[in-house]
Amino acid sequence: MKLTMKLALSLLAPLAAGLLTGCERPPIETVQTGYRGTGMEQIYNPRTLLKQASLTQAPAPADAAAADGPKASEVYKNVQVLGDLSVSQFNRHMASITQWVAPDAGCAYCHNPENFAEDAKYTKVVARRMIQMTQRVNQDWKSHVAETGVTCYTCHRGNNIPTNVWFAPKDRKYANSAMGDLAGQNLASKSVGLTSLPFDPFTPYLKDAAPIRVNGNEAMAGIGNYSNRTSTKQAEHTYSLMVHMSESLGVNCTYCHNTRNFQGWEESRPQRVTAWHGIRMARDLNNDYMEPLTKTFPEHRLGPKGDVAKVNCTTCHQGAFKPLYGAAMAKDYPELQALAKP
Amino acid sequence: MAQYQNLFTSVQPVGPLHHGVDLPRGDDKRTGTPFLVHLLGRIGNAQIGPVYLGSLGVASLVFGIAAFNIIGLNMLASVDWNPIQLLRQLFWLALEPPPPAYGLGIPPLAQGGWWLIVGFMLTASILLWWARTYRRARQLGLGTHVAWAFAAAIWLYLVCGFFRPIMMGSWSEAVPFGVFPHLDWVSALSLRHGNLFYNPFHALSIVFLYGSVLLFAMHGATILAVSRYGGEREIEQIVDRGTASERAALFWRWTMGFNATMESIHRWAWWFAVLCPLVGGVGILLTGPVVDNWYLWSVKHHVVPAYPLGNPVVIDPAILGAKP
Amino acid sequence: MSMLSFERKYRVRGGTLFGGDLFDFWVGPFYVGFFGITTIFFAALGTVLILWGAAMGPTWNLWQISIAPPDLSYGLRFAPMMEGGLWQLITICAIGAFVSWALREVEICRKLGMGLHVPFAFGMAILAYVSLQVVRPVLMGAWGHAFPYGIYSHLDWVSNTAYQYLHFHYNPWHMIAVTLFFATVLALSMHGGLVLSATNPGKGEVVKTPEHEDTFFRDLIGYSVGTLGIHRLGLFLALAGVWFGIVCIVVSGPFWTGAWPEWWSWWLNMPIWRT
Repeated sequence: MKLTMKLALSLLAPLAAGLLTGCERPPIETVQTGYRGTGMEQIYNPRTLLKQASLTQAPAPADAAAADGPKASEVYKNVQVLGDLSVSQFNRHMASITQWVAPDAGCAYCHNPENFAEDAKYTKVVARRMIQMTQRVNQDWKSHVAETGVTCYTCHRGNNIPTNVWFAPKDRKYANSAMGDLAGQNLASKSVGLTSLPFDPFTPYLKDAAPIRVNGNEAMAGIGNYSNRTSTKQAEHTYSLMVHMSESLGVNCTYCHNTRNFQGWEESRPQRVTAWHGIRMARDLNNDYMEPLTKTFPEHRLGPKGDVAKVNCTTCHQGAFKPLYGAAMAKDYPELQALAKP
Repeated sequence: MAQYQNLFTSVQPVGPLHHGVDLPRGDDKRTGTPFLVHLLGRIGNAQIGPVYLGSLGVASLVFGIAAFNIIGLNMLASVDWNPIQLLRQLFWLALEPPPPAYGLGIPPLAQGGWWLIVGFMLTASILLWWARTYRRARQLGLGTHVAWAFAAAIWLYLVCGFFRPIMMGSWSEAVPFGVFPHLDWVSALSLRHGNLFYNPFHALSIVFLYGSVLLFAMHGATILAVSRYGGEREIEQIVDRGTASERAALFWRWTMGFNATMESIHRWAWWFAVLCPLVGGVGILLTGPVVDNWYLWSVKHHVVPAYPLGNPVVIDPAILGAKP
Repeated sequence: MSMLSFERKYRVRGGTLFGGDLFDFWVGPFYVGFFGITTIFFAALGTVLILWGAAMGPTWNLWQISIAPPDLSYGLRFAPMMEGGLWQLITICAIGAFVSWALREVEICRKLGMGLHVPFAFGMAILAYVSLQVVRPVLMGAWGHAFPYGIYSHLDWVSNTAYQYLHFHYNPWHMIAVTLFFATVLALSMHGGLVLSATNPGKGEVVKTPEHEDTFFRDLIGYSVGTLGIHRLGLFLALAGVWFGIVCIVVSGPFWTGAWPEWWSWWLNMPIWRT
């Protein structure tokens, strides 16, 4: 082969490889999350991060409202949840919630403009329950949301429906045939980060309370009553949940774990405890708030199997390690911080 | 002035095609007319064919092609018979073993039954092919070293797909047929058993894997470096040592203090290559039936390095009596 | 002495790259050369530093000894000795020793009238080491990204570095590298087996010829690459495997910060078939 040909090929080949390698370039940002040399690090593309952060701004809080004057429940009819607020505070809340959930449709998204008190629209019934859900998160799930808390905006971000909710997946067209059983996996699914892992980690772990742990406490197999009987298949299911959690937060496995010993809490980071509570919180919200609302939603808001929209980690986090990168909105809305006394 | 490195053959002499050493009576005739491919000839031999199609080979191909087709049809079925989606999602698709609930029982066809059938057919195909490698060697009056090397690979295949699932009591432990799914299996096995890097047989198998790559780089490079003295004529060099073998041996003796011979390097090669799947298979077989968690096993055997822990040390919230 | 029966006639002067006749001699079976001296220097210094690091550490257990790189916060600067500086010195010694070894191999090849294929191949391995410990850390802005020197601790680094990308098996360059590695082991077993089967044909048989070797593989799969071709193929498979291994890790971080499964979205989203 001629020398010039060889030279040309040896220059083209790495170029071609370079074009296909990745779509990013140095410099990149890294954060060390473990002892030096262990390889526990978070890696960020600063250009992507900047763009993402600029798209993830918390809106400014509404001006504070006066707390004096008659209560909302005395002035307005059918106020079931926020009745203890003053009228000014109540109206302020309504203005904010409109901005957060229905900026285009306005008050009419939930209310009958002729009669604000009536519950004719399902959206009003749902919204009332969601206010309670928000209060629940801020009051009882400080183990996950600490003092930062959440507001409607955390999930909705100005949308009627949050951009990331989940439904039970649709069965394939020929689900009952004798061939091609998916076994709940082996498709390219966004829900599990384009792996071929099980594509519904949400039903077993964020709605039902299936056990997530797959490691035992003994080195040898089958010792004693507590021998570890989990299967390799179960490990795949847990892995699919972990991929979801990582992608939701824009972090990798070493954010919580030292992967040489995934199960060991003493080698894990405190964030893993926060995540443990987050899983329980998601179950709580799905089972106590979303599931009971199934009949309230019209059919076009339900999933292909007729189930209600549910929350997972992406619903709030949307790619950030803390929703809205830790912006504390809830502090400006004390009415969202505790469940109203019955 | 650039030097010729004997990486590509620049001048290809073309002679009469070789129809193979005579086979003993009892064997069939060979199939196909041999032909030349010039581009192949720049790297190795240009001749393609003839091939020997014996009963073992044909039977192996029948089982193998049947298995391949069943896998492919199930993949196509799993995307609702859409050929475009088959191509698009090919790497993600698979034929799955039965779910754990069926243990070692025969599952329904749709839920692992096809996998079991394919497993049986593919194994038959591989074992028949093994018999073919043994027989072809014997019929040509050769030793059976290639067949026994192949047996090491078959050992690993059977460990992953047959012996270990049986010892675990569940076909679901076996490997799915699919590109990405079989990689998911690899990860899942490691995750389930406390990180396979801490399995000493796994580590030893990798030593032999990397060692084989090292050895073939060394041996390939050495022979090419002495090809000007006819080094690639290894059989002749073995029975009648020439300057090629002498220089090759001395290169390594002067570099690292010891050397192989033209024959013994092939023994190093054979053993390194064979020990990779052999030892690896042992390591996989122990994973689950004998050892449940390799990290904890390694802690018990005092080989795990210590790193400073966080402050305060993180505690399992489940045992703290936190809200479940 | 420690010479093989045919060795004496090959022990001639010449072939050196540097230093002329000064170090052109043997110690036992080992050729020295200028680069033998530099190898000994770097290797001895590096080993002493490792031993010192072990002595300063918590254990002499061979499996647990670990010399770690600096924290990421030191960037590309020199770190204090006990905070990763030792690791940096050892790395310099390692590169010095490896390059010296390769250049010594060149001198030996020249003396023996051989092609330079072996030191070239070794250069690929050195490139892999340098890519992991120098090129990638520099591209990422800190020495702390490199792996520690410890038998098990370097495996902890591999595990965590891989999980930084959630599922490293989906790295396409890693897939190619693994395929090439497995193909190398396959080809090696076949080549070793074939040569041994021809020269050790079993009881009552005579040593066979290359025609037998070719016939075996043509009978088996319809093609035999031949005696020269297999060595080209083996060298290529091995070096290509290492090359793609280098590519797969240098890309991870500097040129791809996300999860490797996500990389495949370009294929799934091609306009002709995106859903």
